[in-house]
Amino acid sequence: MIKKYVGKYFPVFLLPTVIAFFIAFVAPFVIGLYLSFCDFTTVTNARFVGISNYVKVFSDNSDFLNALWFTVKFTVVSVISVNILAFALALILTRPMKGTNGFRTGFFMPNLIGGIVLGYIWQIIINGVLGYFGVDITFAAKYGFWGLVILTNWQQIGYMMIIYIAGIQNVPSDMLEAADIDGANYMQKLRYIIFPMVSSAVTICTFLTLTNSFKLFDQNLALTGGAPGKETAMLALDIYKTFYNRVGYEGVGQAKAVIFFVIVALIALVQQYLTRARDGE
Amino acid sequence: MAGIRLVNVNKTFPGNVTVIPGLDLEIKDKEFVILVGPSGCGKSTTLRMIAGLESISSGDLYIGDKRVNDTAPKDRDIAMVFQSYALYPHMSVYNNLAFGLKLRGVPKDEIDKKVKEAAKMLDIEKYLERKPRALSGGQRQRVALGRAMVRSPQVFLLDEPLSNLDAKLRGEMRTSISRLHKSLGVTFVYVTHDQVEAMTMADRIVVMKDGVIQQYDTPKNLYHSPINTFVAGFIGSPRMNLFPAHVSKVKNKIMLKADAYSFDAPASLSALLDGYIDRDVTLGVRPEDIHAEEFYMGLDNTLKINVTVDMAEMMGAELYAYFELAGERMISRIPSRMSVSEKDTLPLAIDLNKIHIFDKETGKSIRV
Amino acid sequence: METRSKRLDILFYIILTLLAVIFIAPVFIVLMNSFKGQFYITDSPFSLPNATTFAGLENYVNGLRKTGFFSAFLYSLFITVCSVLVIVFFTSMAAWYISRVKNVFTRALYYTFVFSMIVPFQMVMFSMSKIANAMHLDNPIGIILIYLGFGAGLSVFLFTGFVSGIPREVEEAAMIDGASPIRLYFSVVFPMMKPISITVAILNAMWIWNDYLLPYLVIGNKYRTIPIAVQYLQGGYGSRDMGALMAMLVLSIVPVVIFYLTCQKYIIKGVVAGAVKG
Repeated sequence: MIKKYVGKYFPVFLLPTVIAFFIAFVAPFVIGLYLSFCDFTTVTNARFVGISNYVKVFSDNSDFLNALWFTVKFTVVSVISVNILAFALALILTRPMKGTNGFRTGFFMPNLIGGIVLGYIWQIIINGVLGYFGVDITFAAKYGFWGLVILTNWQQIGYMMIIYIAGIQNVPSDMLEAADIDGANYMQKLRYIIFPMVSSAVTICTFLTLTNSFKLFDQNLALTGGAPGKETAMLALDIYKTFYNRVGYEGVGQAKAVIFFVIVALIALVQQYLTRARDGE
Repeated sequence: MAGIRLVNVNKTFPGNVTVIPGLDLEIKDKEFVILVGPSGCGKSTTLRMIAGLESISSGDLYIGDKRVNDTAPKDRDIAMVFQSYALYPHMSVYNNLAFGLKLRGVPKDEIDKKVKEAAKMLDIEKYLERKPRALSGGQRQRVALGRAMVRSPQVFLLDEPLSNLDAKLRGEMRTSISRLHKSLGVTFVYVTHDQVEAMTMADRIVVMKDGVIQQYDTPKNLYHSPINTFVAGFIGSPRMNLFPAHVSKVKNKIMLKADAYSFDAPASLSALLDGYIDRDVTLGVRPEDIHAEEFYMGLDNTLKINVTVDMAEMMGAELYAYFELAGERMISRIPSRMSVSEKDTLPLAIDLNKIHIFDKETGKSIRV
Repeated sequence: METRSKRLDILFYIILTLLAVIFIAPVFIVLMNSFKGQFYITDSPFSLPNATTFAGLENYVNGLRKTGFFSAFLYSLFITVCSVLVIVFFTSMAAWYISRVKNVFTRALYYTFVFSMIVPFQMVMFSMSKIANAMHLDNPIGIILIYLGFGAGLSVFLFTGFVSGIPREVEEAAMIDGASPIRLYFSVVFPMMKPISITVAILNAMWIWNDYLLPYLVIGNKYRTIPIAVQYLQGGYGSRDMGALMAMLVLSIVPVVIFYLTCQKYIIKGVVAGAVKG
């Protein structure tokens, strides 16, 4: 009956959001999909060219594949390092100690600083360190790579730590007491109780770090800008550069964006599948 | 002045799930009617249809003389008390009570008067400035009642209002609700699965099962003349004993027989049993009508049996003796000063004047 | 047992303190360098300012002049605050409607919102900025509409999850009390959604305040927000004013830190709620 009562108020409740959503997302998405099959410089002069943009993504140069490989490497390393460090910190900070709140506050703080600002902060520091060896971050791709990994860790450890702390605090204390009575030591409790109980937090954090790392743009732009050459450009930055730094390549940029979208969507689907499979047990 | 009338009301949910096939029910003005039945019997749906929270698939609903199928809940002159109380969590008790009046444009001083009156009657004056979460279950319950009262509706609808309270509080609230009904002088429709609430408060009780009204009568009639085995089993605690018998005619006398017993049918029922010769019936007898031998003296028509006690439950004033008869588990309520324990042989007497006989196939009382 | 765990605690305190220093150091280094002459920064970034290197507020004066930081701050503040208010206001209404009026249309809409959450910005950035241009949304007010549309996915998702868990009886009681749908929503439903509104507001504020690419593409030429202003200072390697950059970095961090320290409790709660549901 609420349904009937509220139903006709569609224009009030739904319309503003729906209109904005169509302008900002639905229409651009559909047009973007179409444009990936077109040659264009603005939306209005698009000319259908079939899949040639997609062919160019791979045949014109190896930028995209380089970016993909760089992104994958970066993602794997940062997902592992961020999650291990965040979980370890969460374990320490859920111990009954004084002052844990202050530490939590401190560790979380970098997360609120925007990617561009973060990028420049770390550029100064990394260049400062590398300066002692007479090089800077744009000297070789490995510097940019590890710079991005360090930056990402600094930014995301606090965030993931907060989620892990919430997960660990959700483990019922009587369950841990029961384990104490059963004679479990700390490592056994960790292995058989805490770990299984926070598995959903692990899934959440893994997926969050995965997509955050995969879609990384601002930090990449500010820290290395892709230098040297385009060696440290990740997917998002490569797409951006194809779009705006090379006239006539907008279609290729859009095709790259579609491929990028498909990869991210696949990651999301896998995560959904894994979550369902685990919940279904 | 508002009686309620449901004429062939049907409720079918999307996906063709019929909860109520076709209900006819008439509730008189100022009457206290309780809908009772097991969960899923359609009692709450019926109440929600009266409230207008659930649409009516077909049939007619009248409140007073007006057909209200398509009237919005707010225009039906009803108030409702929910099982979860459904108080507005962010409003003080005062504003919870005042909200409905404010929406109706009642002047401020009048709202104030009505809210304070209701609060006084329900003894919640002290809590008017508190938020619902700072109240106990019983206090919230009274606020929910107050919110219904201030609007002075013609019909009060109550959906399992006491089921979230503990036993002691429930007893107290039963009394206050009965008192409230009398002092307000309006129609009450009340839904519960608890037959004790139904028996203690209602003028008339509607017993429902699978969306169908089984019996609609006063508590007393329901208890003493249940119309079928369902009502017989549902009303009364502990439940009525039901056990089998075969009807036969021996030398112009109608006999009821099973392996363990046989007896002449009581004269009052003989005529009714004529149609059941050589058929099986179900007998029903309330636990309090199975007496311990020492105390049954003075009864003129009894069936004496010797039973082995499976279990004896001490209830204080009385004792429930469990035993088996003709394959059915039976209970007798006997005085607790008797000392009875497991495995004892206990002589009992069933008061045959109080016996109920039901058709074995249909479960209907042979009186109907 | 007691002494062992105490010793362990001390060890943990040492580790935590070291880590905390590492976490705070970058911000401190930037702060330190913002008071040095710009040519000393690259040479010795880790030394404290001394009599020769100390430049007073010169970097700040330069930075503010070069970037128009004050107007950038105001644009950022205006866009963030308005967008967050608009998002919370409209998406909560939409979410309630979707959750209470279930039909083919609302269900399809809901899944489209959820779908939009996984689509990377690069997929839509070109066509979206062109549409924004064509519709004259390329100003600090128009971009609010873009943020409403782009933020709708996560916000509707979070609100819907929450509102589905609110018992309907409260709304039914209000219906019987005589509330119109609009009154019902604003007097009863919206106040009950306060906790999730805070979560949605915080997640969106963090995103919009720091967002670079979207405002850069839509309004970047005329109206610089803080991230755009900072990026503008870069201007190519070698030629940039490191001192001004340091000063601007400090100025961009200050509002965030103030916001964080005042709303810390809500931010941490919001992050957890948002992550667990998202």
